[in-house]
Amino acid sequence: MSEPISILELVLNASIVVQIVMAILILASFTSWIMIFQRGFALSSTRREAIEFESEFWSGKDLRKIYLDLEAREEDLTGVENIFSSGFKEFTRSRQQKDFDADRVMQNVQRAMRVAMSREEERLETHLPFLATVGSTSPYVGLFGTVWGIMNSFRGLAAVNQASLSVVAPGISEALVATAIGLFAAIPAVIAYNRFSAQVEVMANRFEAFTDEFSSILFRAAHSK
Amino acid sequence: MSYTLSGVLALGFHALVVVLLMVNWENEESLAPIPLQPYYIDASVVGENPFEAEKKEQARRKGERKLKETARRDREAQNRANQAAVERAKLEDLEKRLAAENAEREARQKQALEQLDSLTNRDTASPGDEKERLKREQSLALSILEEQSYRRAVTDDEKAMAFVGQIQRDIVGNWSRPPSARNGMQAVLRVYLVPTGEVVNVVVEESSGNDAFDRSALLAVQKAERFQVPPDSRQFERNFREFTVLFRPDDLRL
Repeated sequence: MSEPISILELVLNASIVVQIVMAILILASFTSWIMIFQRGFALSSTRREAIEFESEFWSGKDLRKIYLDLEAREEDLTGVENIFSSGFKEFTRSRQQKDFDADRVMQNVQRAMRVAMSREEERLETHLPFLATVGSTSPYVGLFGTVWGIMNSFRGLAAVNQASLSVVAPGISEALVATAIGLFAAIPAVIAYNRFSAQVEVMANRFEAFTDEFSSILFRAAHSK
Repeated sequence: MSYTLSGVLALGFHALVVVLLMVNWENEESLAPIPLQPYYIDASVVGENPFEAEKKEQARRKGERKLKETARRDREAQNRANQAAVERAKLEDLEKRLAAENAEREARQKQALEQLDSLTNRDTASPGDEKERLKREQSLALSILEEQSYRRAVTDDEKAMAFVGQIQRDIVGNWSRPPSARNGMQAVLRVYLVPTGEVVNVVVEESSGNDAFDRSALLAVQKAERFQVPPDSRQFERNFREFTVLFRPDDLRL
């Protein structure tokens, strides 16, 4: 005991329960970081695309041309583009019917856009529940590992005749590593969850605003003829 | 695609954290090692050491017994001699009581013997023989009594020593000496117990001159809170109601 134990040694010498807890937490941390990066990329690209599309939309271009451009694109449509294309598709289809009623057309269009919007919101929110779960439970999991480890080291202390701090200290130290890993996993997950859910909210508002604006344009177009 | 990139980034982040942690840990290593010196503690109970107290008690009793005998032989003369000192007066009081008891016992024995005599050898009873026998019997009874009390004293001693040893261990187990403790220091504490063995008071009777040392000794007794004491209240009152403890580190290298 002349030299302090390295953290790796602590982890390797921990009891099996504490090791399992640590493994679960490291896995949770790793997965949550994958989610964090993935969500970060996805949300920022969605926002970028929305800004680009809206600027194109308001540039005064023919809506039909925009729609055809979007249809011609190979990759999947996301965000505002998807809402626009599903609304516009429904509008043209309903208008092609023989005896079209402007109000009925608008109802169909709005329904189609609402469906597309809710699908988009759902897509934005993927993985967020996982981050919330990691953020709220991994401190408890870590705490469980710590309590278990301390329990064991005190049980060991009871068996020792000459009780000293150096008997329990390694056990408590290794047990506390579990809590440290739990917090290490939880803190970024909670921060990311809060940040991403705020961003999702902003995007949802944006979608809604766009939907309203677009449907008012289509309303004018439907009633003009 | 996005997931692969995220996975790589997450892996890189964790690897970075682990590396940082390792490096930090290694650097701190130079601070840590301070070899712990083993603590050996020697606390012993002195002063009203039950063993010695018992010895004193025995000596006192022996003295009493002697006095008693002389008193019986020469009561008048001793009475006169004893009237001088107060302590002596106390002893005399005791003596008188014992003498009265003795006289009573004597009378009873005499009565019994008389009865016995009257029953068995009524004819051969002569006053001289009877007196002789009475004396012999008395001395026999006395020696039996003496032996009994001696035996009881021995077992009491052993029991008391067992309890003293336990108390010593309890105190030593709770005693953590301050770094300023040196060989040759000694503090004497007086401990007051109640019959359940709980410490009601503890005072420094003789300071070691080092406050920290005194405090550590006080703390050792206070931490023990409760000692095992003999359930026999007579023994408790004699040896454990209040006793002194000597704290003296003998085994330090300083």
